[in-house]
Amino acid sequence: MANENMEKIYQEAQSEIASSESNEKLQELRVKFLAKKSIIMTMLSTLGQLPPEERKTVGQKLNEIKNLITAAIDAKEKELSAKELAKKLQKETIDISLPGRNYNVGGKNPFHVVKDEITDIFLSMGFEVADGPEVETDLYNFELLNIPKDHPARDMQDTFYIDENTLLRTHTSPVQARTMELAKGQPIRIICPGKTYRRDDDDATHSHQFAQIEGLVIDKDINIGHLKATLELFAKKMFGEKREIRLRPSYFPFTEPSVEVDITCANCDGKGCSMCKGTGYIEILGGGMVHPNVLKMNGYDPDQYSGFAFGIGIERVAILRYGIDDIRKFYQNDIRFLRQYKKKA
Amino acid sequence: MLVSLKEIKNYVNIDGYTANEIADKLTFAGIEVEEVSSLASGTNLVVGHILECEKHPDSDHLHILKVDLGPKYGVEQIVCGAPNARKDLKVIVARVGAKLPGGEIKKGVIRGVESNGMCCSLLELGVDAKSLSEKQTKGIEELPSDAVTGNEDVLGYLGLDDEVLNLKILANRPDLLSIYNVAREIAAILDLKANIPTHEVKETFKTDLVVGSSTSRCSQFSGREIKGIKIKESPKFMKEALTAMGVRSISNIVDIGNYVMLLTGQPLHMYDADKLEKAELIAKDDYQGDFVALDEKSYKVIPNDIVITTNNKPMCLGGVMGSLACAVDSNTTRIYIEAASFDGASIRHTSNRLGLVSESSQRFVKGTNHNQSEQVINFASYLIKEYCEGKEFSNIVKYQKEEEKLNELKCSVKRINNRLGTSFTKEDIHNVLARLSFGVKEINNDEFIVKIPEFRLDVTCEADISEEVIRILGFDNVKSELPQLDSKVGGYTLRQSRLREIREYLLLNGLDECLTYSLLSKANAEKFNLLNNEEHYQILNPLTDEREVFRTHILYSLLESASYNTSRQNKDLSLFETSNMVSKASRSEHLAIVLVGNKLNQAYMNKTPYDFYSMKGIVEGIFELLGVEQSRYRFDRYLDEKEELHPGRSAKIIFQNQVIGVFGELHPSQYSKLGLGKTNAVVLEMNLESLLNAKVSISKMSPISKFPTVSRDLALVVDKSVAASEIIKVIKVSGKGIVKEANIFDVYTGIPLLESKKSVAVNITLGKDETLTEKDINEAMDKIKYELSKSLKAELRL
Repeated sequence: MANENMEKIYQEAQSEIASSESNEKLQELRVKFLAKKSIIMTMLSTLGQLPPEERKTVGQKLNEIKNLITAAIDAKEKELSAKELAKKLQKETIDISLPGRNYNVGGKNPFHVVKDEITDIFLSMGFEVADGPEVETDLYNFELLNIPKDHPARDMQDTFYIDENTLLRTHTSPVQARTMELAKGQPIRIICPGKTYRRDDDDATHSHQFAQIEGLVIDKDINIGHLKATLELFAKKMFGEKREIRLRPSYFPFTEPSVEVDITCANCDGKGCSMCKGTGYIEILGGGMVHPNVLKMNGYDPDQYSGFAFGIGIERVAILRYGIDDIRKFYQNDIRFLRQYKKKA
Repeated sequence: MLVSLKEIKNYVNIDGYTANEIADKLTFAGIEVEEVSSLASGTNLVVGHILECEKHPDSDHLHILKVDLGPKYGVEQIVCGAPNARKDLKVIVARVGAKLPGGEIKKGVIRGVESNGMCCSLLELGVDAKSLSEKQTKGIEELPSDAVTGNEDVLGYLGLDDEVLNLKILANRPDLLSIYNVAREIAAILDLKANIPTHEVKETFKTDLVVGSSTSRCSQFSGREIKGIKIKESPKFMKEALTAMGVRSISNIVDIGNYVMLLTGQPLHMYDADKLEKAELIAKDDYQGDFVALDEKSYKVIPNDIVITTNNKPMCLGGVMGSLACAVDSNTTRIYIEAASFDGASIRHTSNRLGLVSESSQRFVKGTNHNQSEQVINFASYLIKEYCEGKEFSNIVKYQKEEEKLNELKCSVKRINNRLGTSFTKEDIHNVLARLSFGVKEINNDEFIVKIPEFRLDVTCEADISEEVIRILGFDNVKSELPQLDSKVGGYTLRQSRLREIREYLLLNGLDECLTYSLLSKANAEKFNLLNNEEHYQILNPLTDEREVFRTHILYSLLESASYNTSRQNKDLSLFETSNMVSKASRSEHLAIVLVGNKLNQAYMNKTPYDFYSMKGIVEGIFELLGVEQSRYRFDRYLDEKEELHPGRSAKIIFQNQVIGVFGELHPSQYSKLGLGKTNAVVLEMNLESLLNAKVSISKMSPISKFPTVSRDLALVVDKSVAASEIIKVIKVSGKGIVKEANIFDVYTGIPLLESKKSVAVNITLGKDETLTEKDINEAMDKIKYELSKSLKAELRL
């Protein structure tokens, strides 16, 4: 009788647990089957009234049922919580294609990208960054660079004048003279990025304002091979490992010998294309060995010291690297242009 | 400089080299060839003879020609539109299938009449109009009557089978403005021999001509008198050579002057001797007055212009242009010929001032060889004898200023190799110099004396010699090797790296970095000059009045960039630029920022309009970035007198007792002026100098308290004029020792408060180096409340 009863209670509990769909319902079942006043607990508390031989088996059975029901409720509870969580998470699903919150990096004018990158290349080679004024004197811009008054080379550079002896620097080379003056005969290894000005009408390829990076190394026994190797390293870092350079003789009043430096065309790998006008090479910069007159005028003994110097056009490098078709774009600052260039690339 | 290769071939044997090969060789020896071109081109050309010329029945200008093309091609019918087509004329015919610069000639029917070919002008063969007469450009070319009908080598017959190199002559090589010297150069590069001819004429009388100079600007003046000349057309070879080199043929005597100049580099001038008041040509530089030149225009001559005078009257503007008064004309029979040397700078000033730039003035400007005048006069005389029927030639009279000229240099093989990074032998170097016409005299195994040829004005030191060596032997010989220098710390200075950090900081915060022009118009240079009244530099020779002042601030330029963007639908902007500013008083690094429209927090879904506090936050960020504590700077109200900034929403940045920056929202009146439209904008101009150089101490670690802190909120009502910073200050001072932090977390105005009041909510953090008791907290808060109500008349809201 007791056995049948117990089995019935168990069956009833199992089916009610299985069919319950909320935690509240499970709480009710917990009370119904496991609380003090439930049938099972009542039966357990009245075990003493049973004959001793039944007492043990009925007790065992009751405990077993109690444990099974507890486990069943626990399991069902877990199952329901998991379902509920899943439902909640489902509800919380968002559209992951919407834009992220803004931590964007600003666009960097490619002029600055190139300027900073060239600077970093030379800094890594042990150079320092020198500086000089954009409003210069005739002395530094011309005279101390071996371009005396009425030198025909002055015709090469149309100059903005402030007065007879003051002008907007036409190149960054006056920084050579200024650096030599400060270094007082000691070795030098500097670059100088800076703005320069020439009296040119602005169009797609000309700008009254542009910028250069000047380089100057002065020490004992410096020769053209050192210039070549330094610029080779620069060209490879700036334009890629596959690039080669070649030197062509040229003329600048403040270097002797003077060179134009060409780099193998990145577009055709030196095979010849429309970009390099079929030559396989593109001119990127000018340089040479510092003219002995310049050394002498700026306090260095040309028999003791020699040096090389070079000048790189910043916009020119950016134009070549990014295929920019109009130099005026650098100065318009259209953000759709600027944002094509981030820190590097 | 246009160089006819046909002319070059007269002096150096370059058979076997193409024009492009020569051009490459020159370029790699430092003489850049900008272009290689053919004088003229065309296939299927033949000399034709017009047998018949009839008017086209359906046209008022076309002719129907019957042209004899010689035995091989017979007679063809050609329809021709040239006004000068006529019977018996010898012409250039492009047969059907001919390829001309303008296209291919096809068989055609023109207004119902068949046409098999075309009669050509030289223009149609690609000859530059510059070297053709007006008549030649308007009709077909009229060949001489003795031209052989059927001759297929038309270009050769016309001397147009020539190729021309356009050399870019750099300032150091004016000697290459001479065919002779280009021939020498090519010979040196190719290791060939150049044969430069010399000429002489027999002197038949002694001239009365007196030459001289009263100015140091004329260092040499040579002249000769020639009688019995006859002005006529130039010989064919000379016309062809001039045409090839871009000079138009005029008459034999003028052409000889030009031809000799092109070949030798020495400009000549010819005077009609019968038109001069006396036999005298004196160079002066103190003449002042009018001068009527060959072009029949009058020019003002001022002191320092070089003039050649007779009886103190100007007969020639030295090196620039002759006078109409003594010009050679078709009746001239007796001339004085001048070969002089003038100071280049003076010629440059004169020709630039008067706008008279010629082949001759350019040669003087760049520098001429002072030592060849006699030779040049002899060459011209020889040509005059041959082609102007010149009969009597005088002695050459000459004025020459004493000049010291360097013509020898001591050089060393070792020093040259050291400069070049090469290992050339003594023989290599001597050989190159000999090829370039330098004399070499050996002193010992290393040192030698170089004798500089007189036409090389540019070579003045051993470095120049090293360049000669390397440009001929090639830079491929240079050993590429990084310099072995003492190792030292390169890199940025503190100032430089701070500037770079500020730029990176702004970029990483999403601002776009700009670049703008330094030159502004006068009016714009005054706008938004928020920081200084330092006087700016003004350009003496601006190109336009838009760019005539060197700016002392960036902000206006950046606002222009903002306006450029907003007018292109780029409405939300955060732009910045750092740049070095130069004024008459100082040089300093500036930063400008322009914020326009909204900050896009999550693209366009969540955006906040930029305001005063956006900019203030950036400024505080920069100070923090550089480690400058808040206590070292402050913001004061900015008093705007120009209605540029919003008076209630702008501030000055004070650091080290100086105003280093100004920022704020734009004054409402500015938006339309700047073309920004209906939007909002905040701007900043800051002088970074003091910040870049500021001393910042290394902060020692301050221990973080082990004891918990307590947080209390206060809400007060104060007058609107009470600044938040004053409230914080009162709290910090009155709670000294226990208040760790005090932060405003809300400001409210509006109902139910009075118009003049605002409610401010502050969060106060209290803490000590021991556990706080309730008593500590209450005492501190009471004191704070008391001080707030006492000094700021604050009412506490509960």
